[in-house]
Amino acid sequence: MTAPALAAEGLQKSFGALEATRSVTLAVPAGGRHAIIGPNGAGKTTLFNLLSGALMPDAGRVLLGGTDVTRDGPDGRARRGLARSFQRNSLFPEMTVAAALMTASAIADGGAAAFWRRFDRDPARADAAAAIAARVGLADQLGALSGNLAYGAQRQLEIGLALATRPSVLLLDEPTAGMSPEETRAMLALLAGLPRTITILVIEHDMDVVFDLAERVTVLDYGAVLLEGTPADIRTSDVVRRRYLGERTQ
Amino acid sequence: MIIQLLNGLQLAMLLFLLSVGLSVVFGLMRFVNLAHGTLFMLGAFVGLSTVEATGSFWLALAAGTLAAAVAGGLLYLGLLRRLQPAGPLKQVLVTFGLIFIGLEVARLVWGDYAERLPGPASLAGATEIFGVYYPTYRLFVIALGLAVAALLHFGLERTRLGAVIRAGVDDRTMTAALGIDIDRVFFAVFVVGCALAGLAGVVAGPVLSVYAGMDMGVLILALVVVVIGGPGSLKGAFAGALLVGMAETFGQVWLPEVAGMLLYGLMAAVLVLRPQGLLPAGPRA
Amino acid sequence: MTPPASHSRHAVALLLAVLAVGYWLASGYYGKELVAETAITAILAMSLSLLVGQAGLVSLGHAAYFGIGAYALAGFGQKLGWPPALAMAAAVAVGALLALVVGWVAVRLAGVFFIMITLAVGEMIHAWFLKDRSFGGVGGMSGVPRLDLSGIGVDLADPAQFALFALAVALLVYLLLDRLVLSPFGQTLRAIHQNEERARALGCPVGRYKLAAFVVAGAVAALAGTLAAQRSAFVSPELMTWTLSGEILIVVIVGGSGSLLGVSAAAALWIGLRHQLSTMTDHWMLAMGVIFVVLVLVAGDGIDGALRGLWRRIAARRAARRAA
Repeated sequence: MTAPALAAEGLQKSFGALEATRSVTLAVPAGGRHAIIGPNGAGKTTLFNLLSGALMPDAGRVLLGGTDVTRDGPDGRARRGLARSFQRNSLFPEMTVAAALMTASAIADGGAAAFWRRFDRDPARADAAAAIAARVGLADQLGALSGNLAYGAQRQLEIGLALATRPSVLLLDEPTAGMSPEETRAMLALLAGLPRTITILVIEHDMDVVFDLAERVTVLDYGAVLLEGTPADIRTSDVVRRRYLGERTQ
Repeated sequence: MIIQLLNGLQLAMLLFLLSVGLSVVFGLMRFVNLAHGTLFMLGAFVGLSTVEATGSFWLALAAGTLAAAVAGGLLYLGLLRRLQPAGPLKQVLVTFGLIFIGLEVARLVWGDYAERLPGPASLAGATEIFGVYYPTYRLFVIALGLAVAALLHFGLERTRLGAVIRAGVDDRTMTAALGIDIDRVFFAVFVVGCALAGLAGVVAGPVLSVYAGMDMGVLILALVVVVIGGPGSLKGAFAGALLVGMAETFGQVWLPEVAGMLLYGLMAAVLVLRPQGLLPAGPRA
Repeated sequence: MTPPASHSRHAVALLLAVLAVGYWLASGYYGKELVAETAITAILAMSLSLLVGQAGLVSLGHAAYFGIGAYALAGFGQKLGWPPALAMAAAVAVGALLALVVGWVAVRLAGVFFIMITLAVGEMIHAWFLKDRSFGGVGGMSGVPRLDLSGIGVDLADPAQFALFALAVALLVYLLLDRLVLSPFGQTLRAIHQNEERARALGCPVGRYKLAAFVVAGAVAALAGTLAAQRSAFVSPELMTWTLSGEILIVVIVGGSGSLLGVSAAAALWIGLRHQLSTMTDHWMLAMGVIFVVLVLVAGDGIDGALRGLWRRIAARRAARRAA
């Protein structure tokens, strides 16, 4: 009996009179692939921020591997193995791809022992960074400045930074946002290739991505869980069809 | 005790006049004019020269206020507006450089000696209040501060320009998107803030002495007021000014050794407990 | 921005040191004083460079830590009669402690607020020493003891020897801070500077890193302060005025904020310029203000960046010629 890798229990968040998240409960088992969908304004981003620690809930709990992390900030949750990507690229623009990936792993290591080691002479770290760059398809751009990369490559680095912290849970905020169909396909292949040691929760707009990647899907509507099930359940659900899929195909 | 209270109130009103401009400008434009104290000093010196030339305190009051307003306007149009795209950090640093220039210009024009600006004859002497005799001029300072606070409150809450300013503090891009010429509003607010600093300089003249370098001490107090009160809000500036004025006055009387630390402690406590300040501006729920 | 390779940086450091020693050899009494002043200013500027250039924390109250180091040395060494070496170490610790107390509040604030707080607190400390009678108030206090290095044949009471000693300390501080800048700690500071939100999301306790940088900078500034107090055997509130904080910030901006060697070279330039200006006019601060404003208006990467830009251009031209 193992605790879910990531769980939300009765999460609640209001902004003034607006109830952005209404008692949302979900659990992702270790190694699971879970997607959250919902129309614009359904509270996906708020939920994401509650899970990552960028926002504190008014009520409810967030658990990582069974440990209550509700009171931890984003950095505390990251140190417990939670990594996230950003919907809008959030990189270190003046670092090369290699330096940025090494920085992410150095941050994950943390600790005061880091004071006297040389960052630029750490072959083990450089190798690990190169391996991650290869995994996200940036092997030939190690020396390029993050800020100068093409948009698609920046999206890949976005995932790479998260992976560099060797996370156990990965939160992905619309990983294919703004990508061309080819770039989307490449990103999907990248995500599909991630090892099962990493649990993934993804927020997506693109239904193909969701149905391709996820084993479980949660549909949010007006801040509350409308439905949870397998992609097949969701596809055939009348409620979802009316509320969400219908809207999009019109 | 009552005298100290009145002294504290008097200092608080001076600080309010000085910091309200800083605070509202910060709320609108996200930068702080470190040369604000310099404009205070300019007001005091121009006031001093006017009194010496004409003998009229009231003329000095007008001249000092006007001088600071004009200097502030030129500063805004000549430097700060151009630096808008470069971001607030550059704007703040530029105004820091201006403190040096202002200090040396004041020394060149008005010399190195401290002088006292004579108050108006009509307000000389003392008035009995709450059973104590208190200098009439200082009561005037308190009344002036309260009047300006009331006027600004009315202006912000009841006029169209005030509504635009409040909207600008809450959400700048939104206000600009509504088709309001936000740059002109910035300019107007900045100049009014500078004018009030000049006014404060003249008014402070008979209470503090006027000398090159008088700007730094008041600037620091004004910064503390803005930080404590919560930037962008009139009420915050008023509350912050009261707190700092009282802490400074009573600190000097009771604990002169640690008065400086008292102010730091106050600021640290507010920032740790309420990082946004006591009464910050922002969306009203 | 990746720093150039270690050997070329250390070569430049050595070159700067050799230039300083050469000037020391060639100059008279006053020149040797300038060397000492430059070394002390370079240490102070390097400490601020760690904050401004690496962590992106623009402090306008850095002179306070410089001054507190000087006063603490006077307090421990003269008033309490501690041996100068111990008093010096304790003074550096006091600088670190003050930075810890101030930084604990200041690093919670970003950008403009950080500037306001550091300026305000710096001036509060200055005001405190202006009023405080036990250290002589405005007039300051003389008779601060010097380190006793007679064991290795150095007499620090001799201004010429003191200048070389200050230079050696500056070199040591350079090596130390250079190491820090290149460590994962320094790299993390740059990450915070470039994108604080991302650094936090990666697991970085951002506040603690900023505070650590603030404390290191405070300690090194205090070390510079102990040297300044020993040089003149005198402390006064002049050592902690906002004008000094401004001067050091100019030096750091001119030197290219993040480059330890750039700011050290800029320190030499600044001391020379200030010396020239102050012999010409009593109002040299006016020129300083103008320089400050102009610098902020045009500031790019400072001396260091300009040199590197020049080098890049030369290299590009060479490559073009080779290709042709």
